[in-house]
Amino acid sequence: MSAAVARPRGPDLVRAVTPAALILLFIIFSVASPTFRTPGNLLHILVNNFTLPAIVALGMTLVVSTGGIDLSVGVSADIAAMVSVTLMSLGHGLATSLLAGLGGALLVGALDAVLVTGFGISPFLATLGVLFIGESVQQQATNGGTPIYLVSNYPEAGLDFLAHGTILGLPLPLWIVIAAVLLVQVLLTRTPFGRHVRAIGAEPRVARYSGVPVRRTSWLVYILSALLCGIAGLLLAATVKSYVPLSGNAFLLDAIGAVFVGTTISREAKPNVLGTLLGVFLFGMLHNGLLLIGWNFYWQQVAVGLLVFTVLGASFFSRRLQTSD
Amino acid sequence: MTADALASPGFAEPKADTEDRATRRARRRSQIVRLGSIGALIAVFAYFAIAAPGFAALGNLTNVVEQSTVLALLAFGMSIVILGGGADVIRGGIDLSLGANLGLCAAAYTVASNAGCSDIAAAAITLAVGTAVGSLNALAVVGLGVLPLLATLAVMNICAGAELVLTQNTVLTANSPLLSWIAGASWLALSVTDWVLVVTSVLLVLAVHGTRWGLRLQAVGAHTQAARAAGLGVRGYLAGTYVGAGLLTAIAAIVQAARLSGSSPGSGDILLSVVLTSLMSVVFSRRLLPSIGGTLLSVLFIGCLINGFQLLNVSSYWVNGVQGVLILFVVAVRSLSTRTGGG
Amino acid sequence: MATEALALRDLVKTFGATRALDGANLVVERGTIHGLIGQNGAGKSTIIKILNGLYRADAGTIAIGGQISPSISPRVIERLGVHIIHQEALLPPSFTVAEALFLGAEPSHGPILAGRRMRRRAEEAIGAYFDLTLPRGALIGELSAAQRQIVQITRALLNKPRVLVFDEPTASLVRREANRLFGLIRRLRDEGTSIVYISHYLEEVRDLCERVTVLRNGRDVATVDPRVTPMADIVSLMINRGIDEMFPKQVVRPGKPALALRGLGRAGAYADIDLTLHEGEILGLTGLVGSGAKEVLQTVFGLTRADRGEIEIHGQSAAVPSPARAIARRLGLVPEDRRGQGVALDISVRENATLASLKDLTRFGLIDTRRERRQVDGLIARLGIKTPGPEARVRDLSGGNQQKVVLAKWLSAQSDIYILDEPTVAIDVAAKVEIYRLLGDLAKRGAAILILSSDLLELQGICDRILVMYRGRIVRQLGAHETTPEAILAAAAGAGLGPERVAA
Repeated sequence: MSAAVARPRGPDLVRAVTPAALILLFIIFSVASPTFRTPGNLLHILVNNFTLPAIVALGMTLVVSTGGIDLSVGVSADIAAMVSVTLMSLGHGLATSLLAGLGGALLVGALDAVLVTGFGISPFLATLGVLFIGESVQQQATNGGTPIYLVSNYPEAGLDFLAHGTILGLPLPLWIVIAAVLLVQVLLTRTPFGRHVRAIGAEPRVARYSGVPVRRTSWLVYILSALLCGIAGLLLAATVKSYVPLSGNAFLLDAIGAVFVGTTISREAKPNVLGTLLGVFLFGMLHNGLLLIGWNFYWQQVAVGLLVFTVLGASFFSRRLQTSD
Repeated sequence: MTADALASPGFAEPKADTEDRATRRARRRSQIVRLGSIGALIAVFAYFAIAAPGFAALGNLTNVVEQSTVLALLAFGMSIVILGGGADVIRGGIDLSLGANLGLCAAAYTVASNAGCSDIAAAAITLAVGTAVGSLNALAVVGLGVLPLLATLAVMNICAGAELVLTQNTVLTANSPLLSWIAGASWLALSVTDWVLVVTSVLLVLAVHGTRWGLRLQAVGAHTQAARAAGLGVRGYLAGTYVGAGLLTAIAAIVQAARLSGSSPGSGDILLSVVLTSLMSVVFSRRLLPSIGGTLLSVLFIGCLINGFQLLNVSSYWVNGVQGVLILFVVAVRSLSTRTGGG
Repeated sequence: MATEALALRDLVKTFGATRALDGANLVVERGTIHGLIGQNGAGKSTIIKILNGLYRADAGTIAIGGQISPSISPRVIERLGVHIIHQEALLPPSFTVAEALFLGAEPSHGPILAGRRMRRRAEEAIGAYFDLTLPRGALIGELSAAQRQIVQITRALLNKPRVLVFDEPTASLVRREANRLFGLIRRLRDEGTSIVYISHYLEEVRDLCERVTVLRNGRDVATVDPRVTPMADIVSLMINRGIDEMFPKQVVRPGKPALALRGLGRAGAYADIDLTLHEGEILGLTGLVGSGAKEVLQTVFGLTRADRGEIEIHGQSAAVPSPARAIARRLGLVPEDRRGQGVALDISVRENATLASLKDLTRFGLIDTRRERRQVDGLIARLGIKTPGPEARVRDLSGGNQQKVVLAKWLSAQSDIYILDEPTVAIDVAAKVEIYRLLGDLAKRGAAILILSSDLLELQGICDRILVMYRGRIVRQLGAHETTPEAILAAAAGAGLGPERVAA
């Protein structure tokens, strides 16, 4: 087998940007703050700044892999929280409420899927519309955004276990993340579904001409993303024992940022599970580290924004250099 | 074998005037869409005029215009970015940082004014901040080649964070003669805010649709290859749209600061309405592209909607939902028109 | 030298492993109409893209009006007086005619556009050159192909070009429009403009041009006067008869019918298509643009629906509403647009090759990667795909190898009816031979193959029968070895037509 044209080494360096940033930041924070490196703190990062954004970002990874985007991730999370908390406050059991919450998230995902595959609306606009509508629904239901607090007569023990319980020393939410990671990674890399997703993301027409069930795959992708976001919403509700309207919006930007930052470590600049996780961890570490150093909380958002800006800029610029004739 | 035989590969030879007929059919279809949209606008307006008490009063209408000014300026900026970058939603021009930039500029003015700067200095600082943000977008999109969607998303984060740093997430009040003047003064029965809208609209309509550079900007977005072939500096125009949007945002921020007597958190929420109105603008245009006039109409439509809801005591939470449905409706209309129009 | 309006000398351009141009020359004398012809993949479009500044030649010189130009860009080339009328008009679809005509040189009062003056001048210009008026205020996107071309040409003429290059200008024109174009071209020549006319309609070239350059495999093989050189000789130059070793065709006895079309029709595309393809047979299909051949293929593969008629696959009546259904019935399509429809460039050879056959490689919901790797390795060996490995991105392979990946996909899916659309365009000769060998091999094992091609030599070389379509109907059936390229071309051009329909 003769070799094709050798590929230049340059762009491979770009793939190291994100891991390098991770290591660099880790070193800086370790030096600047003595508590940063302690196992307790690292666990704290994982649980507080990593689990929920990671679950949402995994769902986003699936959607972006097909060449789409999902701006309604926050809505799925919020609707799940809203339905389950409402039911619990009315006295229903834990299992029923949680399942109903997931059902609500599923509805949001189905709406996304119908708009994108049934009506052929571009994913950005379709999910933007759902985002609008979702906000409106939440505001209506809570009369302007008042949270629903769980005060009494609710399955407190169950929720506590969900949010703070540990199995084998690791918090339950972390186990859920591990399960989600395994699920998405296996789906993307070892199943025909994953191949279909990658083909659609690479070249939708080729996928169609090769017999890939494009519609069905798109449906599944939005449903799965909504389910994952629903789980994140339920975990959030369990942690704060309430439903705070529109809190899911905070997930959106970090999820998109993490997925695209994650593409920088892939050879083909495609979304991937490991990259997404690194991205989420990068943001989480940044938040935590800046806090420990004593940076103003608000500077953190600037820092995250600058970080995303730099990583994206470096990545796109180098690929532009790579593909110029 | 004659040249004639070879030169006519078509399946059936259309008659002489079929070309014109196809053209006219396409034009009529897009005309229907446009007239229908304007009709819908008038219908909504008429409904509110009849059903909502006080809607049609002059005082109320100028109020609507005033409330729409900030949104209009931002939407103009977004429309210009879309015009220059192309209307494709993923790869084309878009600026998601406008809302956060608005908040940042308003905060900048307030902080500068409270710190003792003169009105002119504070205004200058605000304009500088807005333009700087626009330049950051331009650097990312044109200089580094980042997708506009992602680049402006990152910049949005930076702006939102910077605003929080300045305001510490609190409401800041500013007492500045300039702001009071904007909020209070009037000339020929229109307030200063109204005039800002009028003047900006006129200038932009002229600039975008009536000058050479406006035409060239539209070429850059409509057919980049053709623009390059015509010798246009594509990158310059693209960069200019982002910087221009940033500048418009800064102006809008000063108006907003006047209306709110300072700055308050949550300005970023306006982004969704900005996206909607610049998208909606295409249904008013023959070319199915955003236009300054169409954007203005869309903004006023949304303004009337919100105002009408208020007067009818409809919960304001319906507004977001309606806007969401409108986006989907507009997209459906657009895809319908492009399928039927043109060859 | 001063008599040369345009001179391209020794142009070389390579893409990865393919040599698109291999020392091509084109010398256009001033005030002449000079034709450029060649089969698909001979290098015509590469020359255009180099002239346009889209590609940079690896070697060779370009001289305009006797002066060698070191660098080319659309701006430079137009300033030097060379204008190209592209197949796809470079006009913004949302612009009005006047705006598109004057973009870059707009009439204005200072900064303000002089709209009325622009419209008036536009009407004057079009009227002067074409003696007609376009619909008032029409947008480019609303115009017909012929009208867009008129705008394109007028825009070029406004700059008083010295050299005008036409790239396949009559592909979407009807007779009347084409004649109008020829009249204009002759008039321009009489006024001193030099014209380069690129077309695959040989009769047009013969009637218009004083000289014609024949391109083959990236090189100019001859420049002749078409008015005195027999058409047969020109065709020979294009296809270089005599390379018989290119087609290792074995005679195969055709088996049962694999694919049968009965009375298939689709409004505006084709009608009364009767066709039977047998196992072990290679059937050729050809026709000029607009003949309907491509549309028939699209219907067979499920991309479009016919209004009338039936499709039978392996003797059973079949509905083919989508490509997935066609693939389920073991059809495979090798599309003309390899990079947009055949292979996904940014994923690996392995993933592309197994994209249509994942079901067979899946056990308990998971892909058996070991079996997959074994199958892909086998396919790479059997097809001779030159790749650094199965994980290489298809983008990094040469055109011929990319095509083999497409074939691998259908082999993996165990297709037994292959539909190929222009399978060897822009593929180097060595790879072409390999693909022909593979197709022959497939036929020997019982596959049924339908090839749509405009490469007449290819059709003759590997097909058993050739069907010629013209204006939506099958007009002739020719035994591949009893005919000549000239006869095929003539049939494709509609010459000597009787009233009989042909059932094949």
